[in-house]
Amino acid sequence: MIEKTNQLIEINVCGQICPSTLLTTLREVNKHRKLLSTGELCLDILTDNHDSTIRICEAVGNMGYNVEVAEQGNYYRISIAKIAINKSL
Amino acid sequence: MEKQTLIIVISAVFGLGSGIIMHRSDFCIAGMFRDLFLFRNSPWLRSLVLLIAISMLLFETARLLGILSYSLPSPLFGLPALTNLLGGIIFGIGMVLAGGCVVSTLYKLGAGSLPAACAFIGLLIGSTLYAEFQPQWQQLDNATRLSDAATLPQLLHLPQTLVIFITLVVLSAILYRWHIKGLLLRPSWVSGYLQPRTAAVLLAVIGLLSFSLLGMPIGVTTSYAKVGSFVEEILYPQHFAHLSYFHKQGFEYLLPLSNQTLHAGAGPFWDGLALVQFPLIVGIIVGSTLSAIRMKKFNCHFNIPPVQLLSALIGGIIMGLAARMSTACNIWHLLGGLPLLSLQSILFTLGLIPGAWLGTLLFTRFVVKA
Repeated sequence: MIEKTNQLIEINVCGQICPSTLLTTLREVNKHRKLLSTGELCLDILTDNHDSTIRICEAVGNMGYNVEVAEQGNYYRISIAKIAINKSL
Repeated sequence: MEKQTLIIVISAVFGLGSGIIMHRSDFCIAGMFRDLFLFRNSPWLRSLVLLIAISMLLFETARLLGILSYSLPSPLFGLPALTNLLGGIIFGIGMVLAGGCVVSTLYKLGAGSLPAACAFIGLLIGSTLYAEFQPQWQQLDNATRLSDAATLPQLLHLPQTLVIFITLVVLSAILYRWHIKGLLLRPSWVSGYLQPRTAAVLLAVIGLLSFSLLGMPIGVTTSYAKVGSFVEEILYPQHFAHLSYFHKQGFEYLLPLSNQTLHAGAGPFWDGLALVQFPLIVGIIVGSTLSAIRMKKFNCHFNIPPVQLLSALIGGIIMGLAARMSTACNIWHLLGGLPLLSLQSILFTLGLIPGAWLGTLLFTRFVVKA
């Protein structure tokens, strides 16, 4: 079932030192866990580190979130939400 | 020196191949050790075990077939001392702060990373600074010598092939268990991604070709000192004249391709090390750049938090110093020395573990908060 979230937060960590992408993502997921758990928020991480796409999907997926990765030009967009992610939001 | 052009071309091809493989598979020894402490999970570390096991098998088979000829101790891998352990600890701290080890710094630089550029500059500075206290460090190395055996088989007074066979049986059992559980395979959503286990096999083959054709495993850090010494000679010629480290040619090895014994050192000379390592360094950077462009992921971002750039610079300096203090860098020890069961390399690797732990503490306290 696809539902709509109300808010989108976008965090750009392109070019940052390893493992800033994963640490920043975990910090932001914990910081916004209430809104994420109610399905009101979708968190988008922009990164150019392809290892992060794997590590974030594993780590955040294990926390019970839905994670989607999309290649957008020279970076990746990693979308995190509690509910199935609706790309039309 | 005979066959210079051929050696340069071969070394550059190894560099190009390594750069592409490392970029496509996210090869990073710093990450392998750091993630053990940071995330309690380090998937690439399993492929590093595979890489070491395959290298061990290839090196020993090649030695028994007469393709590879070496005798330890030698300038490649000498006698163990506590300085190797200490160097490993310091190197471990540096690689975590730098965000990558000596070769991942190169391929990340090739892909346009600004922190990697800072770490690279740090590596040049650190490798050069070592010359300031090299005589004292050499005395400490001599004073803390642990054994007259250079390898584990020599220490145990057992045949090399037997010890390597037993080690390979143990490693194979562990790797088979990981294979059955699917732990050697990584999920990926990225087109062009190279599985770490495939990268491990390819890098082991490059390591064997380098050792058998060029007489040495893959390594880069002595050339960092060479670049630094060249700059120091121009900027501070009087001070440079007093640095004995840059005037020695103590590194001696046999180049199988031309069957010549070459002498080399860390000074600003075109010698046997420059001949092999400079093309390798350039090859890794260029290979990674080509790979990144092909994947449409070549990026230069300049809005990086300054604390991250400072961390990369300091980490690079620490790594450069530590690589000289423990006679070589992590690639040389892990991909060259461990497969030969060099005691120097075993000590260095043991040092990396507490070093990476300390580095992780510093990184999450001062650079990026967990």
